[in-house]
Amino acid sequence: MSGTKQTIRKAAVLGSGVMGMAIASHLAGCGIECLVLDIVPFDNMLSEKDRAKRDKGDKAVRNKMAQDALDKALKLTPPAPAFFTPVDAKLIKLGNFEDDFEKIGSCDWIIEVVVERMDIKKQVLAKVDKYRAPHSIISTNTSGLSVIKMVEDCSPEMRSHFMGTHFFNPVRFMKLLEIIPHPETKPELLAFVEQFCTERLGKGVVMAKDTPNFIANRIGVQSMFLTLQKMQELDYSITEVDAICGKPIGNASSAVFKTADLVGLDTLKHVAQTVYDHCPQDESRESFQSPAFLAKMVEKGWLGRKADSGFYKRGKGKDRFVLDWKTMEYKAEDSPSFPSLEKAEETKDPGKRLKALVASDDRAGRFAWAITSNSLVYVAHRIPEIADRVHDVDQAMCWGFNREIGPFASWDALGVRASVERMQKDGLSVPSNVLTMLEKGNESFYKEEAGVRYQYDLVNHTYLPIEEDKKVIILKKLPKQQKVASNDGGSLWDLGDGCLLFEMHTKMNAVDNETIAMQNQAMDLLDAGKYKALVLANNSKNFSVGANLMLVFMAVQNNSLDEVEKMAKAFQDANMRMKYSPAPVVAAPIGYTFGGGLELCLHSHRVVGAAETYCGLVEVGVGLIPAAGGTKEFILRFTEGVDMSNRPSLLPFLRNAFESIATAKVASSFGQAVEFGFFRHQDVMVPNAEYRIARAKEVALGLAAVGYDPGRPREDIPVIGESGTAAFMIAIDGMKDAGWASEHDQKIANKLAYIVGGGKRAEGQTITEQELLDLEREAFMSLLGEEKTLERIQYMLMNNKPLRN
Amino acid sequence: MREAVIVGACRTAVGKAQRGSLVHTRPDDMGGAVLKALVERVGVDPKEIEDVVMGCAMPEAEQGMNVARLCVHLGGLPNEISAMTVNRYCASGLQSIWQVQTSIVTGSIDAGIGGGTETMSMIPMGGNKIVPNIRLAHEFPQAYMSMGQTAENVAMRYGISREEQDQFAFESQNRAVAALERGDFKEQITPLRTFKYDGAGNKVEFVFDTDECPRASTLEALAKLKPAFANPKSGKENHGTVTAGNSSQMSDGAAAVMLMEAGKAKALGLKPIAKMHGFATAGLHPDEMGIGPALAVPKLMERFGKPLGITLADIDCMELNEAFASQSLYCIRGFEKEGLTRDRINPNGGAIALGHPLGCTGSKLTTQLLYWLRDHKKRWGIVTMCIGGGMGAAGLFENLDL
Repeated sequence: MSGTKQTIRKAAVLGSGVMGMAIASHLAGCGIECLVLDIVPFDNMLSEKDRAKRDKGDKAVRNKMAQDALDKALKLTPPAPAFFTPVDAKLIKLGNFEDDFEKIGSCDWIIEVVVERMDIKKQVLAKVDKYRAPHSIISTNTSGLSVIKMVEDCSPEMRSHFMGTHFFNPVRFMKLLEIIPHPETKPELLAFVEQFCTERLGKGVVMAKDTPNFIANRIGVQSMFLTLQKMQELDYSITEVDAICGKPIGNASSAVFKTADLVGLDTLKHVAQTVYDHCPQDESRESFQSPAFLAKMVEKGWLGRKADSGFYKRGKGKDRFVLDWKTMEYKAEDSPSFPSLEKAEETKDPGKRLKALVASDDRAGRFAWAITSNSLVYVAHRIPEIADRVHDVDQAMCWGFNREIGPFASWDALGVRASVERMQKDGLSVPSNVLTMLEKGNESFYKEEAGVRYQYDLVNHTYLPIEEDKKVIILKKLPKQQKVASNDGGSLWDLGDGCLLFEMHTKMNAVDNETIAMQNQAMDLLDAGKYKALVLANNSKNFSVGANLMLVFMAVQNNSLDEVEKMAKAFQDANMRMKYSPAPVVAAPIGYTFGGGLELCLHSHRVVGAAETYCGLVEVGVGLIPAAGGTKEFILRFTEGVDMSNRPSLLPFLRNAFESIATAKVASSFGQAVEFGFFRHQDVMVPNAEYRIARAKEVALGLAAVGYDPGRPREDIPVIGESGTAAFMIAIDGMKDAGWASEHDQKIANKLAYIVGGGKRAEGQTITEQELLDLEREAFMSLLGEEKTLERIQYMLMNNKPLRN
Repeated sequence: MREAVIVGACRTAVGKAQRGSLVHTRPDDMGGAVLKALVERVGVDPKEIEDVVMGCAMPEAEQGMNVARLCVHLGGLPNEISAMTVNRYCASGLQSIWQVQTSIVTGSIDAGIGGGTETMSMIPMGGNKIVPNIRLAHEFPQAYMSMGQTAENVAMRYGISREEQDQFAFESQNRAVAALERGDFKEQITPLRTFKYDGAGNKVEFVFDTDECPRASTLEALAKLKPAFANPKSGKENHGTVTAGNSSQMSDGAAAVMLMEAGKAKALGLKPIAKMHGFATAGLHPDEMGIGPALAVPKLMERFGKPLGITLADIDCMELNEAFASQSLYCIRGFEKEGLTRDRINPNGGAIALGHPLGCTGSKLTTQLLYWLRDHKKRWGIVTMCIGGGMGAAGLFENLDL
């Protein structure tokens, strides 16, 4: 490497199956160029005509495997699109093993994702050994095969650059990445890959041992198969099991069978078989045997979602069916309810929820205990076989199986000693490592002392401090004295180094008078020179869903429209204050960032947000238009950088602004928000959402250090004038005629058209920011006087989705 | 009164807009090429031509600045020939011929060319910058209604079903494909020497001489297409029936027709091939502009057919521009009642199959009509079309080459 710092600019993905392409899509979304290679299609995969073309060297046919896979990935739609935005596919280059293999010589990371067969993997890796660049990292994305065995015939040089990297599908959304070191892997490479995947790919990395199925799948699949077994043994139905074994016991809400359908039953069966074949010592080996009805399902091709029928099956319209495993027939899906589950639903804390559930003596409680107790025993038995640390196991299960808390944390919640006694009474064989822990008087796997978290080391029987990642800032864990101010709506935190943070903590982080007061207080502190920079952020899943509609609705009902107008004006003013603050302001959005939430970002100097940021000005959904500067900012953003000296038409640019608001266009990722023009190219995507606050702080302080100048409120914004307004009105009139927009949609859009046109002005004239804000407010208030707008607001409040009226 | 006769007509083959052969061919180049080819075909000294009138429906940008005049230059014709661009949207290419006809008859000129040129690849519908009048936007937005919506309106108001429209489109494609196979258009098309940029820095030259829009389709495939304009779930009955498959195709092309004072033609030894007897236009509500031909054609027959002693039943061939299947079907219903049978309307298929290069269409359809009448030894023909904004136009032709 001759002293150059290791980095990954370009990767190769060998094998374009579902996983291969999902990995490539994610890498591309994170800005890494990706070469995807697959086999040249065999004879039986091609028509006669294509066979001839292939033999003549036709690239389209020779690269067909990779091309088809890319096309398929591009077609994946919510809930699990592979790409952040289809534009990312531009970073993916396709090829085939025969013509393009030497191109891996220019790649920094080569990921092997070919079919799960040792002989084939060995073949491909031998070829990699031949063509790879000396500095390149090579990894295999196997889900179960031995990493050591795979490279036994490779050069020592290759082995020192080799490791397993086990991604989970969908790669974009699943946080877990298990890294399996080879005994000869250079430690500095492991550290680099861990850091790279954490920061640049946003993964949660867990180091795993080279054992079949590694950590998460070993435990997760055992738990699934155990559940199948117990379901038969104790006579439960599929819907009963899913009702119990989802959120109530800390699992993902897709529970057991919906998860199984998603993964695919053939895959599950295969993964379980791997353990059965390769883990003769596993005390629960027999639980990995597929029950007869599962084998039958695979035989019938009821493989789950991909086959349109699995444990569940969709009918026409809203019809849903579920399998009766005894008769092997589908029947209408029911939703069983149990008293203990209803109670569990009310408990927010997952540990307390589980504890209450397993203590209740109804059908749900008994089943929950059977599954939980057996699973915990199995997991404890796996240490140190598959991992040394309980925290690694817990993180793997949270990140890989979307569990709310990991098995050891949930064991703590149950009370280890008490639950072990109950397990033993049930005749379960609790492993000695846990018994020893209790014998030594240690009551929990985790403890916290003087602000330091510890985990119990089940091998050496001592507590080890958990190394906290300093880049993860969790506000409620900050020392109390760092909370500078607080009210019902928000808090101000001192992040150190002269950086202030404004956190909103209303319901769904909605904007109200309290948050605006806190926003102003933050600006006061900046203005007073007490802080150098400000970060807008919180630790929630969602940054903010916009203005508090309930408040707006109540005010209108109480005939206090002037209160609403005051609040609208106050929010506008606070945003303008922020935008022109000489101290830099950086917003760190994540998740839902709608309406007022996005308006906060739009008035910040930079956005440093999570890759999974979903944003848009969606006010028309509730019969309104953005009136806290959102409409104004879209006008500015979409015309930014246009040189007016040769009198270009602003129409196409403003049309984008108009349409984005009028159709409530939502960007479904940070990358897409940049593509749509909501965010700017100099805004920063943070692949690892947990780092967004720390990153935002760095950027804010960086801007402060270089002397950021926000400029002055604009007084020379060029307008398109009434002709532009007319153009938008005609467009919306067409939408209405075509049945895509309602009359009320049209009314709202016409008001928007007036603002985006610049009011009563002509092309060539200008408008000020304040005048635009006044137009926004005027339209906003007039729409609040519309019956249909109130209906929309009310409907949204009650149903959490927009009404089309 | 002076008499004008048509002494020649030709057209380019029609290209598929956006992704066809003429995507990089400028409208002025196409127009220039047909003018030059027409002069050569007729075999007349270009100095005899006095005026050129070209139709163009979106006369801006590449086809702006009085494109007719630029066509004259690009066609290598003398500076002494004057030129004018006319715009009556989709009737521009028919209007231009009538303009030359009246100029000759009224004694302004002795010889001229009426034609049309349009690139829909380069200029979008509505032009590059749509800036409507704010007063109309408030009071009468239908003045700017999209063509697709007017087609939906016609379908809804007059009960023209999706099946009928698809069936009509299917028939149009079949007729066009058959005509292409027979080579019926070969003679009227002037091969266009043109080029395409391949995107890798090369200008690739080729000759374009065959209409590329028609394609054999099936009713099943047509039925599968999604509505192109309207929301089929809007709740309105028979809404969302207009698809890309039963609408005319966006296209590029140019065409031209030469007219001459009859005496002059004789003196020059040119054989008159046809005569334009009349032209009529009609206005109606813009939101159902498609039914324009149903108003313009009766007017045409009343004013010009009647004195000649002919009715619609005597018409041997009608070129009805198929902007949309829905409006075509509505108009045809009326014509059939007057005795014009379906087999005489668009015998070689229409714009759904062959394309509709807006301002060129009138001249293109006239060219097609004159060749058809000549080939089939028939006498009377009509060219008619609907016009955006709510109008219809129709022209009456007589084949003199019997």
